[in-house]
Amino acid sequence: MRIRRSHPNHPGTGRRSLLCLGGGLLLAAAWPVRALVAASGPVVLTVGGRVRMPNQGDAAHFDMTMLAALPQTSFSTRTPWYAQPRRFTGPLLRDVLVAAGAQGDVIRLTALNDYRVDMPYQDAQRHDVIVARLLDDKPMAVRDKGPLFVIYPFDSRPELRGAVYYSRSAWQLRKIDVL
Amino acid sequence: MATAEDRRALARHPQDRLRYSWLALTGFVLVLVLLAVALVQARQATLLRQVVQAGDDYVVLMVYQAETEQLRLRDQWQRAADDRVPLDADTLRLRYEIWVSRIELLRSADLQHLLSDPDGDQRTLQQAMDFIQRADLALGRTPEVPLDRGFVSALLPQLESLTAPMHELSLGASHKVSEQLEARGIAVRQQNRLGLGLTAFLSVLTLAFAFIALRQVAQLRERRLVLEELATKLRLAQREAEAASDAKSAFLANMSHEIRTPFHGLMGMLSLLRETGLTPRQVDYLRTATESADHLLALLNDILDMSQLESGRVTLAVAPVDLRALLRDVEALMRPQANAKPLALHIDAAPGVPERLLADATRVKQILFNLLSNAIKFTDHGAVVLDVRTREGEDGQACIEFTVTDTGVGMDEATQAQLFNRFVQGDSTRSRRHGGTGLGLEISRNLARLMGGDVSVRSRPGEGSCFTFHMHLQVPPPTVSEPAAPLPAVLPTSRPLQVLVAEDHPVNRQYMAALLENLGHQAHFTGNGQEAVEALCRRRYDVVLMDLHMPVLDGVGATRAIRALPDAARSTVPIVALTADAFAETRDRCLVAGMNDFLTKPVSVQKLAASLRRLFGSGTATPNDTPLPPEPSPAWAGSHPVVDESAVAMALQAMSRERLAAMVKAFLDQAPETVQRLRAAVRDAQPLDLRTNAHAAKGAALNLGMSALAATAEALHEGAAHLPAHEIARLVQRYEDLVPATRQAMSALDVLRAEPQPAVTE
Repeated sequence: MRIRRSHPNHPGTGRRSLLCLGGGLLLAAAWPVRALVAASGPVVLTVGGRVRMPNQGDAAHFDMTMLAALPQTSFSTRTPWYAQPRRFTGPLLRDVLVAAGAQGDVIRLTALNDYRVDMPYQDAQRHDVIVARLLDDKPMAVRDKGPLFVIYPFDSRPELRGAVYYSRSAWQLRKIDVL
Repeated sequence: MATAEDRRALARHPQDRLRYSWLALTGFVLVLVLLAVALVQARQATLLRQVVQAGDDYVVLMVYQAETEQLRLRDQWQRAADDRVPLDADTLRLRYEIWVSRIELLRSADLQHLLSDPDGDQRTLQQAMDFIQRADLALGRTPEVPLDRGFVSALLPQLESLTAPMHELSLGASHKVSEQLEARGIAVRQQNRLGLGLTAFLSVLTLAFAFIALRQVAQLRERRLVLEELATKLRLAQREAEAASDAKSAFLANMSHEIRTPFHGLMGMLSLLRETGLTPRQVDYLRTATESADHLLALLNDILDMSQLESGRVTLAVAPVDLRALLRDVEALMRPQANAKPLALHIDAAPGVPERLLADATRVKQILFNLLSNAIKFTDHGAVVLDVRTREGEDGQACIEFTVTDTGVGMDEATQAQLFNRFVQGDSTRSRRHGGTGLGLEISRNLARLMGGDVSVRSRPGEGSCFTFHMHLQVPPPTVSEPAAPLPAVLPTSRPLQVLVAEDHPVNRQYMAALLENLGHQAHFTGNGQEAVEALCRRRYDVVLMDLHMPVLDGVGATRAIRALPDAARSTVPIVALTADAFAETRDRCLVAGMNDFLTKPVSVQKLAASLRRLFGSGTATPNDTPLPPEPSPAWAGSHPVVDESAVAMALQAMSRERLAAMVKAFLDQAPETVQRLRAAVRDAQPLDLRTNAHAAKGAALNLGMSALAATAEALHEGAAHLPAHEIARLVQRYEDLVPATRQAMSALDVLRAEPQPAVTE
């Protein structure tokens, strides 16, 4: 499995010029301290619980644009839900949590159908878990398990290919609570 | 020695073999069971993995969730169709999307093996798809009709009709999974039982194996104890036997020693008795008594030696030894024995044999005495030769090798094999004739081995024997050699001398005649040593020129015989040795035998004159009044031209060209005959004949300046005893080939141009 990370300002190559690279680095270094802006489009993800940078009440609300503005990670992996390996793209879960200033012990994921599962906070640090918003570079409809899908890089480590991690991969994600 | 118990211990072998096969069988079964257990466990692992991986229960959850979503969608749909509440399009769309995702999931998941009624379930899914197709008209990505209450109401019955089949699907899947879980549980239980059974069996087998192994170990220990006990007993017995044997040896040694003391007294008395004026008859008795005493003493000495060698009490007294003196001593003791029979005794040291070496002289002499006296004992005619040479031993160290060759009766293989065993003699009938203890060779071999060498034998019946004794050669650091013994007093005479020449080779005789004539002396010839002794008894001669190698009686033997003559005037006649050997050892041997001077061939007129001058004073006639030119040095020792011109020149000083030519011609004309004799000696494997013939040819060839022929004859003489047959044949061939070349070279020197002269009469 190949994991590729790219900054949204420099999608793809990221090697155009030293200046661009410098700018990317500056941005990457700068955004955690940047206050979370309010969501302007429809809210697709709510981060609640121990959030230090809420933008709506106690919670941090994200629209698709805000998620797409975070650094993106892409990888292809086999999953139990598709016959073929599929390519998933989206921000790292830990980046989303940092953007919301969320820190805790447990991450509770809630889906549109009220499916709920807890993952240890460490999973987001230890593994490159992403909040996928693109499947094969296309947005996902709700009927396609979208719009957001928590995906572990299953093919990077054998121990990830088990029921526990499959159950933590919530699709139709709508809410993250950090407890 | 072995007790009944020991025998039983040793008789257990067949039982042991049976037990070992049981052990092997148990081990084999053990391995099989281990394999089976491994197989069962592998299967269990596979089953477990299936339980974990397949996620059939997960599929049940999927079906269940699809049913739940179906119910939630139905509720929302019913609410949307209700006129009393406003239409919540977003919620309806969300519910619908979620439900669609569930149906999609069911379609993509592999449900076949989970469905109790695949056809019915497929129908249910198809029903759902039909509904989705219709609902998507308003709720899909690209709505074609507006989502209004009429649309919702129209589709409601179709949605509601899905409820029952979805429930059926959920129940069916649930039941099916239950069955599968049950079946898998049973399989796992069975596997577990099998595994337990195998483990139990395995444990039993392992215990059995351990039991057998333990028993085996115990029995081995028991057997080892028995064997150790046996070994201890045997060791004790051996020690006792050795002690007894040692005691016997010591007793024997003591007794031999004790007996010798009074025995010496007895022998002394016997010798005194001889001086007391006995009758011939008494003298005869006395002689027999003395011989018996000698024999007895030899026996005692052998026994003493043997018992000392056996008990390891013999130590070698290694010291620098003069090899010439040693050989002289050996010869002095052996010669009378040889002379008692018509036997020639030659002792030759090869060039390169050091004059001094480190050895125990007494022991070396003892071995040589033994080998030589054996050779003389078992040889009735012919010759006994002791050759000394150095060679490289098997271990790369230098060796000195003494070879005693005889022309005696020889031995067959069986006799040779027993030869070095105690109390075994060549054959029992002969032992009576020859006497001896039979210990001699065993003693010799033990001594030789003590010196880092050995004694070996090579023999064939009727063809003589060849005993070889070799030992490590150690050369002492060089010391100042002793001055040579002074020559006998010079006799002052200046008259023509009557010279007796004992020489067997006709050409050499002619040559000597020419030389002596040239010097103004009168030459008389005899063909061998025996004749020379007889000639001396008949009349007086001033001097004897004695060739060393002659048939019947050689020069040294003749000298001893002459020195032993009763008439003092005859027994003191000056004797000059003539030999082709230039070795100091030969010279010493001659002087020891009683000769007065020693001339090496080629004999020049100067050498002969000088020798006679030494013996008879300066007044002796010389060939010319003027001093002679310095003697040309003989060149044959280095490279070997066919003809040595200096030697020819030397011969021409002594005689006329015609005379020399006649002698050369006679020699060369005789060559085919010589070659024939050499070949016959090779064919009949008679190394001594070969030596004799080669030696005679060598002397003559040297005197006449035919250096190549001389060198070849020399090589034959040297190699006769030890060179391989093909090498000797090659040398003979070379000798033959050299004859025409020599004739040609002589012609080139104008020696053979003159017409051949009639042969010189003696």
